[in-house]
Order: sequence, then C-alpha cells, then structure tokens
Amino acid sequence: MELFTKFPVMERSALAELRKSIDFAFRDFSRAYGDGIEAFFDPLLFFLVRLEKLLINSPWPIIIIIICGLAWIGSRNWKLVIGAAVSFFLIGYFGMWKDCMATVAIITVCVIICMTVGIPVGVLMARSDRTERTILPVLDMMQTIPSFVYLIPILMLLGIGKVPGLIAICIYAVPPIIRLTNLGIREVDKETIEASEAFGATKIQKLRTVQIPLALPTVFAGVNQTIMMALAMVVIASMIGVKGLGVPILRAVLNQYLALGLFNGLAIVALAIIFDRVAQEYGRRIQKHRGLKR
Amino acid sequence: MKIKNIIFSALVILGLSSFSGIANAGCGKLVIAEQNWASAELMANVDKVILEKGYGCEVELIPGSTMPTFTSMNDKGQPDMNPEQWANAVYTPLLKAVDEGKLFQANKEPITGLGEGWWITPGTLKKYPQIKGMTALEILEHPEWFPDKEDPSKGAFVGCPAGWGCQLANANLFVAFEMEKKGWKLIDPGSAAGLDGTISKASDSGKPWFGYYWNPTSMVGKYGLIPVDFGVKFAGRDNWDNCIMKPAGECASPKKTAWTKSEVNSIITKGFVDKGGKDVVKYVEKRTYPGEIMNGMLVYMADNQAKGSDAAIEFLKKHEAVWGKWVSSAAKKKIKAGL
Repeated sequence: MELFTKFPVMERSALAELRKSIDFAFRDFSRAYGDGIEAFFDPLLFFLVRLEKLLINSPWPIIIIIICGLAWIGSRNWKLVIGAAVSFFLIGYFGMWKDCMATVAIITVCVIICMTVGIPVGVLMARSDRTERTILPVLDMMQTIPSFVYLIPILMLLGIGKVPGLIAICIYAVPPIIRLTNLGIREVDKETIEASEAFGATKIQKLRTVQIPLALPTVFAGVNQTIMMALAMVVIASMIGVKGLGVPILRAVLNQYLALGLFNGLAIVALAIIFDRVAQEYGRRIQKHRGLKR
Repeated sequence: MKIKNIIFSALVILGLSSFSGIANAGCGKLVIAEQNWASAELMANVDKVILEKGYGCEVELIPGSTMPTFTSMNDKGQPDMNPEQWANAVYTPLLKAVDEGKLFQANKEPITGLGEGWWITPGTLKKYPQIKGMTALEILEHPEWFPDKEDPSKGAFVGCPAGWGCQLANANLFVAFEMEKKGWKLIDPGSAAGLDGTISKASDSGKPWFGYYWNPTSMVGKYGLIPVDFGVKFAGRDNWDNCIMKPAGECASPKKTAWTKSEVNSIITKGFVDKGGKDVVKYVEKRTYPGEIMNGMLVYMADNQAKGSDAAIEFLKKHEAVWGKWVSSAAKKKIKAGL
C-alpha cells in the first residue's frame, strides 16, 4: 500500500551525492578548460570593449547623427528619423547616455552574432526534416529554461563581464531567428521552386536566388524578435556584471526607486522600438525594390 | 508494611515530581527567531537543541529576518530571542528598548571575527608573497597585481552588487582612497551570485582577487579569504553615516576610513529572562562561536545543502569542546545523551 501513498523518492544521501558529483564534475571541467574557453572569446571581448569605448567617447551629436543616418538608410522615413533623434536626445538629457551606449554596443554585437549563427542554422533545418526534429527541442529548451539556470555554469566557466553576458543574451535571443528562417524557407511556394529546378538551378543557386529572397519577410520578422528578446535580457545580463541600462534597473528594483526604474525601462523600450521599426521598414523596402511582394 | 510502602512510594513520587519541577523551574516555552540566512539558522537550531535537551525548555522556532524580527520583539515582545541580530540596522530603537528594560543585549559577540571589509584570496598571496601583512593602503599602490579582464591596464577592485547598501560605501571609499587616480577600476558584479562567481573563479584558477566581502560566510570559509587591514583607523560615525553610506552626489569629500564595526548581538526579551531563568540566560551570555568554526559549519551547510537543524546536530557532535564551555556540566551530560 505504501507504494501508492508514498512517492518512491531517491534516497536523500544518494540524491545529494548525485547533485554534488554533477557540481564537482562541472567545476573540474571549468578549472581545466575555463582559461582556454576564455581565451577563445578574447577577440570578441576586444571588439566589444572597443565598440563600447567608441560609442561612449565619441561626441554625442556625432552619434545621434550616425544613428539618424542609419535610420534614414534603413527606413527612408522622416518620421522615424526624427523619432530616433528625439528619443536619443531625451535619453541623454535624463542622464542615461553612457548606460544607453553600453547597451547599444552589446545589443548590436549580440544581434550580429545571432544573425550569423541563426540564419545558417535555420537554412540547415529547412533542408532536412531530421535536422529540424533534432534542433527544435533544443530551441524549446533555450527559450523556456529560466535564464538564471544557465547563468550559473556561465559564471563558473567565464566569470562575470561582457562575454558571459553576451552568451546569456544570445542563448535567449537566437531561437526566433532560427525558427523563422526555417519557417520562411519551408513556406516558399512549391511551384516557384519547381520552376527554378526546371531551369536547372543548383541547390545553392536555388537557395540564393529563390528561397532566401522569398523568405526574407519572415526572416526579418525573426530578426525583430531577436532584437526584442535581446533587449529584454539586458537586466538579467547586468546581474553578471554587464554595464548598461540594466544596472540602474537592478538598483531601482532593490531599493524601490520608482522613477529611476521607469526612466531606464522606458529607455530600453525606446531602443527596442527604434531598432524594430527601422529593421521592419528596411525589410519592407528591399521587398519593394525587388518587386517580390507576396 | 503496606502503609509504609504506600507512604514511601508516595514520597518518592512527590520527591521525583518536585525534583523534576525544580529542574524545569523557570524554563517554560520559548520562541526563538530563525532568520533566513545560514549562520542564523544554525545558531537558532543549536539553541533549540541545547535549551530543550540541556535545560528542559520547550523551544519553538519561527522564521524571521533583521527588521521584522526586531520590530516584533520590540513591540510585541515576541519572539523571545534573536540569536543573531545585526544591530547597526536598528541601532537607535535598540538602545531605547534596552534603556526601557524591554530588551537585553545578552551577548554582544555571539560570533567572533565577524564583519564587512576588503579581502584577498589565498591565490593572491601565492602569486605575490610580498602582499602578506600589507594594508589596503599599500596594496592600492599596486593595481598591476590585479589586472582587469576588460582593460588590463587597470586594477580590478570587485565592489558590491548594484542596489546594496555596501555599494554606496565601496563607491565612496573608492573616491576616498583616490583609487581611480592610482589606476583602479570599481567592478560591479551585478548580483550576489556574480560576486561569489568572481571569487570562486579566481580561486579555482589561482588568479589574484581583491574586493569586498563579509564574514561569517561559507565563501570565506571555503576559499579561505584573507581580510585586509585598511591601514587607517575608523574615521568616526559622522564620516561614515553622513558621507560614506550616502549616494555619490551627497558625499562630496569622503575621508579615508576603515569599515564600520558590525555590531551583532543576541537579543532577548524580558519574557525570555522570566520564562527561561538564570541558567538559560547565562548560557546565552557565554555562547560565542569562534569565527573559523562558524565558517567551517557554513561550508558544511553549503557543500551538503544542509538545513539548520541537520547542521546543528553536526555542530553538537563535532565541536563538543566549543559548546561544552557554554553549558553547565549537568546540562552537557544531558545534551550528549540526547543527541
């Protein structure tokens, strides 16, 4: 009877042993390879530090002009350019310029990494059902596992700072771009592909000239999602020593500073909206340009 | 014969019961606060076992933490004891309550060697043996010993996570000791986990580490962190309270100072004295944990993910020499038998 009323639990000491052995195994691993892995990421760190310094040390009007220029190149939309200028000016006016630049630096690098990793993986997934089946659960896990759980091993392996923060952000932000690249390519019209095959296109040609261009709107939706999720992770990244808008938010949460939290939170929202609108407009514009409306 | 027997046994029973009455005289039901961090959990549970087994009290533990527990003890007289009250946070009301005779600082140093300050890892000492015996003032002349990962031309000083009170103190001390000019960078570890992470990472890889921490903690015990003397005296409460602990804008010219002394007391209420009796109070007065033993216990708790109650038994079994001095020999025997 006891079997039914009492759940068969692993013996307490054995369970403790299991947990300890996992902890120790990982600790030994990080002792042995931590320095090597850290060295592997050194170029990335160098780039990040340089970019942040550049953004912080350049005179602010130049940065605002560059941002407006990028917004114009991306969107060709005056309203958006003015909106970007006003929000960056307000961010600076409320004393958040330095933090904001640090956040822009890390988010930019993060989105570049996510795109260079995510789009090829998405393409691979689209090409083979088996690859899709193996990668999907991994993506599910990356999106749902609480970020604090993977912060622990990242901390043990790489300590605190920009690189571990970047990795934590990427783990959370890369799945949408992979998913949507995969989806976009799979959704390309079968008859169009047949037509390209009929003209004797190779696999690479088919991918480059038919599938990716047709999938672009979906891929861009993925990029947007990635940007949004990366910005959402800024606060958690600041818990492992990443400078930026997340730090004052943490301070605000711990001390109930309502205004401080609100200002910095709104700054993140402003960044997200600018990034998102510019990317979306850009996506729409290149579609128009190619004349490939769906 | 029979009557004699009855009278005799009646006397025996009477004697026994009155004897046990004497043993329990004055010790009724006590409520002790079990605060939500490791050392406080351990102390509350050790008190529970010792008072129950050794002094025949009935002890109930209730959860608590610094401010709520103090407020409740001050206003309602419940719980009866807080074994580890950090007194700086409640300095003024505590002194008032002591003056009024509501509360008593039964033990002004329940754990030795306790406090906040600046520490280095043993790995630092191994790499730079000349650091041994150096004060913070002297170490600050050598930022090159602690290169920062992101900017190796600067020395990394690991401060407090954003939002903690000690973050303000470290930021102001950073100014007071002119550390920026000397080539230091104040690192914000972001969270308690981040701060611990920098220590364990540095210790595991044998790299130097210099930063803020506090004692008693399992981190100090586990990694053998070494406290650094500031090399200057405590520059007075006014400097500390009205400048060092204030946000950067409100502290224009902080003075160099050692860290303020952390006052930790075992606080008892009048009810504790009435219900517990003289012997129990005497136990609380004598109960001082040596810092290194406390840290050893905290490491045990962290490594085994042990609860306070398990750790209390472990402590009583392992460190009889320590607690044996706190209790009377009769109580000691009873406690040993009860384990």
